[in-house]
Amino acid sequence: MSNEQKVYDITIIGGGPVGLFTSFYAGMRQMSVNLIESLPQLGGQLTALYPEKYIYDIAGFPKITGQKLIDNLVEQMSQFEPTITLEQEVREVTKQDDGNFKIKTNKETHYSKAIIITAGNGAFQPRKIEIENAEQYEGKNLHYFIKDLQYFAGKNVQVLGGGDSAVDWSLMLEPIANKVTLVHRRDKFRAHEASVENLMNSKVEVKTPYIPSLFIGEDHIEKIVLSKMKSDEVEEIAIDEVIVNYGFVSSLGPIKDWELEIEKNSIVVNSKMETNIKGIYAVGDICTYPGKVKLIASGFGEAPTAVSNAKVYIDPTAKVQATHSTTLMEKKEKLDQKKVPVNS
Amino acid sequence: MATHTIVDQSTCIACGACGASAPDIFDYNDEGFAFVHLDNNEGSAEVDEDLLDDLDDAVEGCPTDSIKVSEYPIVLEEV
Repeated sequence: MSNEQKVYDITIIGGGPVGLFTSFYAGMRQMSVNLIESLPQLGGQLTALYPEKYIYDIAGFPKITGQKLIDNLVEQMSQFEPTITLEQEVREVTKQDDGNFKIKTNKETHYSKAIIITAGNGAFQPRKIEIENAEQYEGKNLHYFIKDLQYFAGKNVQVLGGGDSAVDWSLMLEPIANKVTLVHRRDKFRAHEASVENLMNSKVEVKTPYIPSLFIGEDHIEKIVLSKMKSDEVEEIAIDEVIVNYGFVSSLGPIKDWELEIEKNSIVVNSKMETNIKGIYAVGDICTYPGKVKLIASGFGEAPTAVSNAKVYIDPTAKVQATHSTTLMEKKEKLDQKKVPVNS
Repeated sequence: MATHTIVDQSTCIACGACGASAPDIFDYNDEGFAFVHLDNNEGSAEVDEDLLDDLDDAVEGCPTDSIKVSEYPIVLEEV
């Protein structure tokens, strides 16, 4: 389905914890939401960098893992029906003559009455493999993400990397693929001990300490050349698919060109969380103001401020201060009595 | 060949990845930003050879490429 014609009330840029809560709160204030995230998954830094790490400073949770917090936020957000636009990086934002914003991503164009930027430290992208001819195989049989495990059924798959993603994907692919080989440049893996133990007991062939040095193949990678660390030994392996899990890199990127006031890589906002461009708000780690504290907890506090002020920006007759969430939810339930709440 | 390392704190996002990969090299200051505790982030200390694999892990795991490595002592240019 194309989003091209729809003008959303709010477009949220960034699907990290603060973006998810912003989406929930915008739903609560009865606004339509389009949430744009550069990765194929929600959760931002938490999911990308430390899903299993405990976080201790979320109000109401003595401790909670990054992934669990994200799962909860997604569940909370899904009480409404936001549009989730994954794997799109916002490139350009322009205010049109009708006051609406035109938001160009690397894939399509979206329209919105207001924008809330919750992009943290900028868009995450997978760290690319540094092999000269690697780029030509992207979108063919060189993968940075796995969307469908079945795609690899019966194939010879080579996974590159030494962290949790590399180990977990190898284990998930093992029963499906014909053969999985995991290549890492050292014998020690950065993944969880339990996962590494599973790996060693699995049928995954673990090749360490090796690094890939060359891809061979005209259109697709047919063979991969592996070099053994600290030796001249090289080995050629025929493969069907290559998956690279070298972590993520983030950068503010094109946000710098949207004519927003930026100070030390952060977007300057006022007490309404509003930027120097009317209708664009910023909350969470990406925003700054005197006394700003960069924590998920403070981002959660900033979200309702931005949403409520955006609501008034869109509809000047609306009130900034919303009534209690209990009352708002009762109203919502009356409105969509026939619908079953989504609780995935 | 000697190896030196330093964290560029102007780009560090205090994510905590480097200390998890190489706790013998990196620590965090009061604000959570990483620094090389071998030399108080001055880029002058030689990293022990036994720690080089950990250092590679940290460099690979840093989401903002803030960990700089060189065979010579490192001085970061002021931004």
